[in-house]
Amino acid sequence: MSFADAVTLAPFIAAVLAAAAIILVDFALPGRKVPALATAFIGLAITALLVAVTGQSGATAFNGSYRVDALTTFLDVLFIAIAALTIAYAPDYLEERGLPVAEFSAVLVFAMSGAMLIAGSADLLVLFLGLELMVIPGYVLAGYHKTDGFSTEGAIKYFLLGSFSSAIFLFGLAFVWGLTGTTRIDGVSSVLTQIVAGKAALSPALGMGLAFLTTGVAFKIAAVPFHYWTPDAYQGSPTPVTGYLSVGPKIGAFALIIRLFASALGPLAVEWNIVIIVLAALTMTLGNLVALTQDNVKRMLAYSSIAHTGYMLVGFAAFGAGKLEGLEGLLYYGAAYAFMNLGAFGVIAAIQKRPGVTSNLSTFAGLMRREPALGILMALFLLSLTGIPPTAGFFGKFYVILAAVQAGGWVTALALLAVLNAAVAAFYYLRVVVYMFMREPDAEIPVIRHGRLVWVGLAVSTVLTLALGLFPGILLELVNTAAKAIG
Amino acid sequence: MNSISGLPLTTIVTFLPALGALVVAFSPGNKPDWARKLALGFALITWVVSLAMLGGFVATQGGTQYNEAYAWVPAFGISYHVGLDGLSMVLVVLTTTLSWISILASFLPIQTRVKEYMISFLMLEVGMTGVFVAQDLFLFYIFWELVLVPMYLIIGIWGGKNRIYATIKFVLYTLVGSLLMLVAILATAFTYAQTTGSWDGAFDVAKLIAFAGQGHLNGTFGFFAFGAFALAFAIKVPMFPFHTWLPDAHVEAPTAGSVILAGVLLKLGGYGFIRFAIPLFPEAAHTWAPVIIVLSLIGIIYGAIVALVQPDLKKLVAYSSVSHMGFVTLGIFVFQEQGLQGAILQMVNHGLITGALFLLVGIIYERTHDRTIAKMGGLGSATPVYAAAFGFFVFASVGLPGLSGFVGEFLTLVGAFKAVPAAGVVATFVMILAAGYLLWMFQRVTFGELSDFLKGLGSHLTDMKPIEAMTLVPLAALVVIFGLFPGLILNLIQGSVQAMLSAAGQVVPIALAVWR
Repeated sequence: MSFADAVTLAPFIAAVLAAAAIILVDFALPGRKVPALATAFIGLAITALLVAVTGQSGATAFNGSYRVDALTTFLDVLFIAIAALTIAYAPDYLEERGLPVAEFSAVLVFAMSGAMLIAGSADLLVLFLGLELMVIPGYVLAGYHKTDGFSTEGAIKYFLLGSFSSAIFLFGLAFVWGLTGTTRIDGVSSVLTQIVAGKAALSPALGMGLAFLTTGVAFKIAAVPFHYWTPDAYQGSPTPVTGYLSVGPKIGAFALIIRLFASALGPLAVEWNIVIIVLAALTMTLGNLVALTQDNVKRMLAYSSIAHTGYMLVGFAAFGAGKLEGLEGLLYYGAAYAFMNLGAFGVIAAIQKRPGVTSNLSTFAGLMRREPALGILMALFLLSLTGIPPTAGFFGKFYVILAAVQAGGWVTALALLAVLNAAVAAFYYLRVVVYMFMREPDAEIPVIRHGRLVWVGLAVSTVLTLALGLFPGILLELVNTAAKAIG
Repeated sequence: MNSISGLPLTTIVTFLPALGALVVAFSPGNKPDWARKLALGFALITWVVSLAMLGGFVATQGGTQYNEAYAWVPAFGISYHVGLDGLSMVLVVLTTTLSWISILASFLPIQTRVKEYMISFLMLEVGMTGVFVAQDLFLFYIFWELVLVPMYLIIGIWGGKNRIYATIKFVLYTLVGSLLMLVAILATAFTYAQTTGSWDGAFDVAKLIAFAGQGHLNGTFGFFAFGAFALAFAIKVPMFPFHTWLPDAHVEAPTAGSVILAGVLLKLGGYGFIRFAIPLFPEAAHTWAPVIIVLSLIGIIYGAIVALVQPDLKKLVAYSSVSHMGFVTLGIFVFQEQGLQGAILQMVNHGLITGALFLLVGIIYERTHDRTIAKMGGLGSATPVYAAAFGFFVFASVGLPGLSGFVGEFLTLVGAFKAVPAAGVVATFVMILAAGYLLWMFQRVTFGELSDFLKGLGSHLTDMKPIEAMTLVPLAALVVIFGLFPGLILNLIQGSVQAMLSAAGQVVPIALAVWR
């Protein structure tokens, strides 16, 4: 590793070191949460600073297998924000259940570093490496409450299907490598360009490789019909973990899709876009329809996260049809979704602070009376998830639909399906609002005091959810340059 | 731009209630009277501002006035552009008037969670005013959706027994329409950007209408885009067969909620047709017109017939709304000057009269906790002031000449007869039905012996209290004034009427001097 490589990789190295530092601090001062948390936040801040300094340089490392472009920078910042917010929400919840905070933070930062590796990979093998580095800590986190049967069950399902899909994905990579003779993303792309131009034949084996890759990533983003692991993993996991799982690995997997499909397989866009369109239609419709019948808010949000995957896929389909705005919309939606969904899970985690409080709808009855601040914030996040202006969720939908309308053809039909889905989704999101604002609780639930960190986390989520809705201009340029790095 | 001492009056009139909501939010929670009075105070100041704007409004000047425009999301040509034309001005004043009346009318009935109620109501006013002043489609859509949330809470928290079913139905109906409209808005903006090669002004209403005037939004695209806009507005108006949310929402909503629902929210639909759907897609508007006229007629007849058999006072008024609002869409889609004038007058009058009728129903409900017509009777002798007020507004609703309801319906019918005589004939006959269901209801409630049910209330059955009368007097005064001098409104809206008709491409200027 040359010095130049180290500079290019600096943010990633900092993230790994931060995770290691948390473990060391915990080793030196066992069981003390403040030093561990301080280390985590300082580590994340340094990582963010390095991202800002080295960002958008276009520099490559390790003979071009890792590259920092505007998209890397955008995604890195997003991943760091997701990790920081998750760490802010978690201690309250974990401590009450006797779960160690320091280990949690360390594992989470490791997962984040994996996502960052995906964001910067210019080689299929690095891509896979990043993917595994991102999801394996995820399995640990899902089963973090090891005395809780549901947590363990969810973790096992997540692990089995996750490693299964990783294997399928790797199998697909092998095909692509075997037929193109390279694992470099731009190398694959140029070979495929020649194939598409008719200079070489498109073999059935390559088609099969493509099918395996699609299946693998469809598992990772929980697209229908590859979504079956999601509800159990989400419902069983400790609530702060659920929040993280629903945004971190999801956006990480979308980074993978962008790097793989948009860059490496870009020349085959016409072929794979048909699949994306079908996946998008199925994913948002089924996710929403099943969410309608859920009485557990965590499970409901799990299905709704499937639906949101569908909306993001609409943006990707518009990109596949040749509209760069589709990719911009996808990135904007990802950021908006991350903050509003983390906010919602932050509230749920706060409500569930006392062990034994379920995430059933009935827990939310009369929340507005009991804890008005949490009630109002939850309502805001739910309205944003519904897509009511002036929130981040609205502008995200706006952007994705605008791109889909521009793309024309079947993608425009997707736009119509997306808005009809949004109306369906309003029903189950508003149901929670009904319980919070309009129902009285069955039994008196005592008011809980929440840690300061929780409020800071919620404040950040709130400000970002509103700011990305009211002043979308602050992010538009970023998503534009990030998308241009691909298109 | 005419503004008093350079103040951004449009922004002030729109967002002053939001400031009020903020102030109310910080008022002490154990003193509901503070919340009530603060909310009323802010609503009254807003009303005064809107009246000042009305005073400074130059009726002879075309286009929008009190304009304010700032770039918002320049990448897509989205701007914060607000302003008022005559129609907006009239409807803004209607909104600010009904808002403070509704807040005053909530003083007695609303006794729980007063603070939240007042905040919701003030935010509702922001949304409604915003819809009428927005001159940018993106901004318009934001206000359009903003209306939804407070109304959802008002029905859902302070409503009747079935309030949750009603409020979710209300939101879902509206949302389906408005989301499809969002797609149409985006497609329209994109068409503009693609044709002109720049996003500049792609959401600006005036620029889009000019763009539409060059025929860029015709053909298949216009047909579907108009369909999406029309669906959103038809649900809001509401037109048959999209009206089923209305009776539920009205019956479950608290009195003031019903007043605003009938008085302003339904007008958002009519306004949308006149200001957006027709000027943007004139060709498609003509293609769709027969469908809309037929649906309007069905709505007029159906609403009247269903109202005739309603056992519940509030439901009867709600169904009469369906019938009355049918006149509005009928008047708009005959593309005649009188029809459109009549439609706009009808919008204002329906707001005043039906708003008052809901207030009256609310007043009796406060005492009886029942709205069954069959249980009423003899109120004329027990509560003479109430009965007189009730009678006044019932006759106004029937369309008694000299009161405002008459002028709107008359002009609408003139327009209808000129364009589609058959529609005029049908609609005229329904006016007889309207007289039937309203007068029959009035007779059953007020005439005869005091019913046993009401006797059982004993001393609870009091006549109108001063605070209740205060909500009705201004409405009654306006009904008389607009009945005698409809020109007050007609002059204001003349520019908007001509603008829509010239955009729609069929101007038939016939002066009805009598009514000026």
